[in-house]
Amino acid sequence: MLALDLFVNGLIIGLYYALMAVGLAMIFGILKIVNFAHGEFYMIGAYTYTLIALGLGVPPWLALPAAALAGALIGWATERWLMRPLYTGYGSWGLMKDEYAVVVTFGLSLLLINLFDKVIGPYPMRGPALWDAPRLSIGPFMMSGQKLITAAVAIILMVSLALFIKRSLWGRQIQAVAQNRLGASIAGIDTARASSIVFMASGVLAAIAGALLAPVINPAPDVGIFPAVKSYVIVVIGGMGSIPGSIIAALLLGVLESFGAVYLSYDYRDTYGLVLLILILLLRPQGLFGERAREV
Amino acid sequence: MRQNRFAMAVTAAAFLSLAQPAQAADPVVIGVSIAQSPPGSVVQGTQVKDGIEIITKMINDEGGVLGRPLKIVYEDNQGIPEKGRAAVEKLISRDKVVAITGGHQSSVCLAEIEVAHRYKVPYVNTNCWSDDIRAKGYPEVFNPGNYNTRVSTAMAETIGAMKVKNVVAFAENTDYGIGQAKILGELLAKQSPDVKYKYVALDRAGKDFTPAVLPLRANPPDMVVNVMLPPAAYILMNQLYEQGVAPSAKTWFYDGAGIADYPDFWQNVKEAGKYMLAFGLYHPQMPMPDIGQQVGQTYQKEKGHEPNRLIFQGADSVLQIVRAIEQAKSTDASAITQALKDMDYEGVRGKFKFSQEPGYSFQQWVDIPYVTYQLTEVDQPLSKTTLIQATGQPLHADKLVRPSN
Repeated sequence: MLALDLFVNGLIIGLYYALMAVGLAMIFGILKIVNFAHGEFYMIGAYTYTLIALGLGVPPWLALPAAALAGALIGWATERWLMRPLYTGYGSWGLMKDEYAVVVTFGLSLLLINLFDKVIGPYPMRGPALWDAPRLSIGPFMMSGQKLITAAVAIILMVSLALFIKRSLWGRQIQAVAQNRLGASIAGIDTARASSIVFMASGVLAAIAGALLAPVINPAPDVGIFPAVKSYVIVVIGGMGSIPGSIIAALLLGVLESFGAVYLSYDYRDTYGLVLLILILLLRPQGLFGERAREV
Repeated sequence: MRQNRFAMAVTAAAFLSLAQPAQAADPVVIGVSIAQSPPGSVVQGTQVKDGIEIITKMINDEGGVLGRPLKIVYEDNQGIPEKGRAAVEKLISRDKVVAITGGHQSSVCLAEIEVAHRYKVPYVNTNCWSDDIRAKGYPEVFNPGNYNTRVSTAMAETIGAMKVKNVVAFAENTDYGIGQAKILGELLAKQSPDVKYKYVALDRAGKDFTPAVLPLRANPPDMVVNVMLPPAAYILMNQLYEQGVAPSAKTWFYDGAGIADYPDFWQNVKEAGKYMLAFGLYHPQMPMPDIGQQVGQTYQKEKGHEPNRLIFQGADSVLQIVRAIEQAKSTDASAITQALKDMDYEGVRGKFKFSQEPGYSFQQWVDIPYVTYQLTEVDQPLSKTTLIQATGQPLHADKLVRPSN
């Protein structure tokens, strides 16, 4: 029974991780950069949701789209004002300055954490639940209504994202840009707009994850650091830039941590993912679902 | 020539006489190192700072110290030991502070006291609970705040009186958390050998403690003890409640981290905080000197809610340094250190003298007053909670109430 409990809990945690990691994987897949401010997109979503719902008295179900909007806005602004100089004027990704993206996104992360700390305050702020059932029995399992809703919304969002990427015109354009930015550009695709959409989608996913978890994780200004670190691990395990890889890796990590914490040692819970990461890098450096690439 | 010399002497005397009052008005500077930004506990840092601001204003309104204004220079240590070390180094060498205070995270204090000890500058530890800070035996370090052995002793007595048999503690993986959990285990082994006790170390940055909580569902203990600080403590409490582990009809929830009087406590825990048993260093029913009451009232007026222990501890730390300067009639570091060591101090929270006994009680306010109380309603103000043990009084376990499920 405990094993089943741990498995279900691991899957739920894995779904939370996946919501965060997929956005990060998209950005890497399309733009080949790591967004170090991704955790702060999550934090902005959590705060927008909580402040709108508690401060303005807006029903939580309406505060959720507001958080998504805030995520889209921060994603758009980051790409438009901070990322675009990275590739404007360059004909090839080979000429891109990777360190620029690292420095800029890392700086943005620090700026946002400290800005929220000073403006909103350091106190953790628990968001209202979408389903106010703090203790729910579902057969042999116990969980809060919020956790259940979060898991359901996470599944819906990831399926929608997969359909969007596969079926929509914008999604196909994004795929083309991911394969060859210059080629896509020659074929008439607006690569800047594709990058913008990717950043907005990434912001939306992270912000919704933050909003959904606001009643569970009690957001504070540095709340995004922890899930962001997990996301980096997941993205590498799944295969840099692979969306299905990130989802599978997130679920795997959630379950691994859940079991490891009880059957091995709770003290090393966060190291299990890192051990897996090292193994993957040794045995399959491109990640579970990544493809070997060669640059010419 | 003689006239010229006379004119120069008069000019110099005039300069000196003009310069003298300015020098007399130079402020006495105390350095405060606290967490003002993440990842440190900014919540604690803010409260310590609020208390310091209140007492500084009160002191300056009454003419300052030795006729000079009191000035506080703050440094943000971000709750990181290396930053704390650098902050104290800067306060001493650049800002020329006469003493350091404000510390509220044990790992940071442990780093900071090394610098204070090297420069022989007095260091008044506001709220670092780890016994290791005292055990170092540094003559410059004074501890008017709480310490792990004090909490663990109080908790072990309470656990013994409640006749529980099986206790699980969740402790944060810090000097403070692990230290307190270990001492509690040692004391229980001595005082109540029948009690089965174990502790689980949790990451203070963690967001999901469900895997640590799930094994307790099948085999619930009689009591779960919290040795974690917010926000991790709030998350743990919510997950214990969500899984039906504690507080419940079978399992008590006992807080040993003093979180119940944090201003954001109820907003973050709601139902999970009801029936919690708490160790407290402040309760409105505790006797308090006039100056302490004044600090509390000023805080309540300014912030609109009840004060908590950290307000008083912050205020007390600065007041104690000021009293030592007054007693020493000097701002010389060694004179202040000697005065702190010798003086009978009556401060914001009461009257005491530092113990000189080596170990965890070295330069410590050993009999620091505490209470034990229970929260019986959601959103309950501290003043309405049930006092189970008043300061220095026996414990009334019969006043405790349990949830029905």
